[in-house]
Amino acid sequence: MNQPLAGYAPAPVTARMENHGDHMLKVAMQTGNDLFARVGSMVAYEGFVQYEPNPPAVRQIARDWMTGEGAPLMKCTGDGLLYLADYGANVVVINLNGDGISVNATNLLAFDAHLTWGVERVKGLAKFAGQGLWNTKISGQGWVALTSRGKPIVVDCGGGEDETYVDPDALVAWSPNLKVKGKRSFKAQSLIGRGSGEAYQMAFSGQGIVVVQPSEDSTDRLRVRG
Amino acid sequence: MPREFQRGHKAKISDLTAGTDLYVGVQITAPGLTFDISCFGLDADERLSDDRYFVFFNQPKSPEESIQLLGAQAGDTESFRITLDRIPPQIQKLSFTATLDGAGQMSQIGSGHLRIVAGGEEVARYAFSGAEFTTERAVMLGDFYLKDVWRFAAVGQGFDGGLDALLKNFGGEVAEEETPAAPAQPQAGAAAPGFAPPAFGAPSAPAPAPYQPQPAAQGFAPPPGATLPPAPAPAPSVHAAPTIVAPLAPPGGGHVPPPGPVPAPYGQPPQQPYGHGPAPTAPMPPGYGQQPQPPQAPPGYGQPAPPPGYGQQPPFGQLPGQQAYGVPQGAPQGGAGVTAALQQFKETPTGQRWTQQNKKLIRVDLGMGGQPVLARQGSMVLYQGKVDFSYKGAGFAGRIVGNATGQEMQLMRCTGQGQVFLAENSTHVHPIELQGDAICVSAENVLAFDESLQYEVRRIEGHGIPGGALFTMQFQGTGTIVVKTHGTPVVLPVTPTTFADCNAVVAWSAASQVVVSSQVRMRRNAYPGDTGESVNLQFRGAPGNFIVVQPYEV
Repeated sequence: MNQPLAGYAPAPVTARMENHGDHMLKVAMQTGNDLFARVGSMVAYEGFVQYEPNPPAVRQIARDWMTGEGAPLMKCTGDGLLYLADYGANVVVINLNGDGISVNATNLLAFDAHLTWGVERVKGLAKFAGQGLWNTKISGQGWVALTSRGKPIVVDCGGGEDETYVDPDALVAWSPNLKVKGKRSFKAQSLIGRGSGEAYQMAFSGQGIVVVQPSEDSTDRLRVRG
Repeated sequence: MPREFQRGHKAKISDLTAGTDLYVGVQITAPGLTFDISCFGLDADERLSDDRYFVFFNQPKSPEESIQLLGAQAGDTESFRITLDRIPPQIQKLSFTATLDGAGQMSQIGSGHLRIVAGGEEVARYAFSGAEFTTERAVMLGDFYLKDVWRFAAVGQGFDGGLDALLKNFGGEVAEEETPAAPAQPQAGAAAPGFAPPAFGAPSAPAPAPYQPQPAAQGFAPPPGATLPPAPAPAPSVHAAPTIVAPLAPPGGGHVPPPGPVPAPYGQPPQQPYGHGPAPTAPMPPGYGQQPQPPQAPPGYGQPAPPPGYGQQPPFGQLPGQQAYGVPQGAPQGGAGVTAALQQFKETPTGQRWTQQNKKLIRVDLGMGGQPVLARQGSMVLYQGKVDFSYKGAGFAGRIVGNATGQEMQLMRCTGQGQVFLAENSTHVHPIELQGDAICVSAENVLAFDESLQYEVRRIEGHGIPGGALFTMQFQGTGTIVVKTHGTPVVLPVTPTTFADCNAVVAWSAASQVVVSSQVRMRRNAYPGDTGESVNLQFRGAPGNFIVVQPYEV
C-alpha cells in the first residue's frame, strides 16, 4: 500500500540537523543538548521530546517583547528525532563552527540552545529618527536552521567599493561583520520597494555574505519600527 | 548547467566560474584498456622545464600543491584538484593528457569526457569519443593556459607515440622505464576520496568518507616504487605522516584536500579552515568515533564506506555513543561553517546579461548590452553596483488603456552599471529570449524585460466572456522578457485541440491564433454546482507554437 511513499522515509541520522527534503528539518535531539525552535514549527517527533513554551532566558524574552523582534521561541528537550517545518519554506541548515550569523527572527527556525544569541539593534540604521532595525545574532559552535521562501541566494559582498543593496523584505541573513547602512531614495520619482512611496534598501559593505530569498513577503518580517 | 565544449573551444575560466579552486575530472570508458591520466605544468615555452610539475600517478601533487591528483572518484577515471591562484608564475599552462597503458589505440575509446567542477557544480564539460582518434596512443585532452587570465581549451589532439612522444613534445626527458611499468597501486589505486566528490548536494550522505585524509592511505602504502625518478618531493612527507588514521590536525606535509571543492566563496582567496587547520568539528574517520586519542590504526584505513554509527563530534562535552538516538555527528558534507553550509546557494558566475540563479531568482547584468531594463515595481531583491531605479510611467494613454483592460504594469526602469537580482513572491521565473518574434503574456505575469522590446495590449474577442473580451500584452522585438509563473509550468505545443483555462494560461507565442471556446450548456449552467470551467481558450497555429500554463488559477 505504501510503496509509493517508501521513498520518503527518513534517512539515517548523520548530523544533529539535517534537511529532509528541501522544506523540512530533522533534528536529532539528545538530553542536555536543548534546542530553541519557533513556536508551532514542530510537525512530528519520535522519541521523548518535551516542549517548553517560555524558555527561561527571561531577559532575552523581555527584550524580544520590547523590540518586537523575534518570533516566540520554544525550548525543546529530550531524546528523539524532531521534525520541524515552517509553512513549506525552504530550510537551510548551517553548522556555525564558530562563525556568527545575523538573522531575521522570522527566518529563524531552530538553533542549538547553547549558542550565544541575542537580539540586537542593527548599527548604522539609527540615523533615521525613530527608526531602528532589530535582528537576532547567533554565534558559537553548533547548528542553526533558517527558513527562506524559495531557494535562497548567497551573495558575496566582495569588499569592493560597491555596496550591495538589499530589499529588507527579501533579506534573510548576513554576516555580522558587514557594515550595514540604510539607504532611502528621496527622489520623488523613485518608486521601488514594496508598494510605492518610500524606497528603502539596506546597503552592506565589507567582507561577508548576504542571504536573500526570492520573495518579498513582507508579512511579519524584518521590521522597521517607527 | 555545464557548458559543453567541443574540440578547439576555448573560454576564460572566470566566465565559467568565479572560483579558482577547481576539480578536473577525466572519465574514459574503453573496455579492456587502461589509461594513465596526467597533468603537465608547462612554462611559457610550453616546455616541461620543471618535472616536479608533471603530476601523475607517481607524483600526485606539485610542490606547492596547486595541482593534486585525487584518483578515481565520483564516476571519473581520474581527477585533479587545481588551485589556480596558487600556481607559481613560471607555470603558464596545464595540459591534461591521457596515455594508453598497454596495447590498444585511442580509437577504441567508447566515450569520455573532461569536466570542470567548481563549487560542487559542473561548469564545463568536453566530451569526446574514439571516433575522433585513430591509432594514437596518447591524447592531450584539454589545457588550462594563462593568457592574461586563466583559460580553458578543449584540445583533443592525439599523439602516436604514447607518453614518450608526449614527454618529448613537452621537452621532458624520458627516464627509462618511467611510464607504465609501475602501475603504482598504492597511490592511484587507493583512491582516497580526496575532497568531496562533486556530485554532492545530499547533505545526509555520510560525511566522513570524503574527509578521510590521504596521508593515512599513503602511510600504509608500500614505499613508492624505486623506478620513479621525478617523484622525490612528496616522499618524505608521506613517510613522515603518522600512522594513526586521520589525525585531527594532519601534519602540514600530508596533502589533505579540503572537503569542499571550492572553499572560496567567489572572489575571495581560498579559505583554509577545513582541511589544513585543526578544524574543531572535523568529523573523525570511520571506526574511530569513540575516543579520539588512541591511534587505532587499522580500522579506518582505506575503507571508503563508513559504518553507520561512526564518528561524532562531541562539542558539548558528551560522549557520543551514549545516546539512544545517534545524535550529532559530523558536519555536512560541504564542511562546517557558514560559508560552507551556504556554498550550494552561492551566486552563479556572471557572463550573460540575463542569468537565472535558481528557479525563482534571476539576475540581470545591466553593464552588458547597455540598455535599461524595465521591471515590475518591487521585484528587486538585491543589487550590486551603481544602479538607478526610476519610476516608469505608462503615460496618459497607457494608463487609460491599462485601466480599461486590466493589462497595466507597474514598472520601474533600472539603469546604470551593476547586477540586479529580481524575484517576486517565490514565483518561478523564466527568461524568454525574443529574436524578432513575439509572445503574448498576461501583464500580471511579466517580471521584467529589456527596454528594447515593444509591447502593446491585444484584445481577444469572444462571446460569453464577462466584460466582453480578454486582454493580453504582446511583446515583440529583440531582447529578453522574464515571465513568472506560480509553480512549475507546462509548455504545450499548439495542436488542433489545445485548450487552456484563461486564468491559468500565462503566455503563448503570438503566432498562434486564440479562440474563445466557452462550453455553454444550458443544463450545466442552469444549476448551481457547474464545473466552473466556463471560459476556455483554444489555440490554433502552425507547429512550433506553444503555450505556457501554470498550475495556479488567478
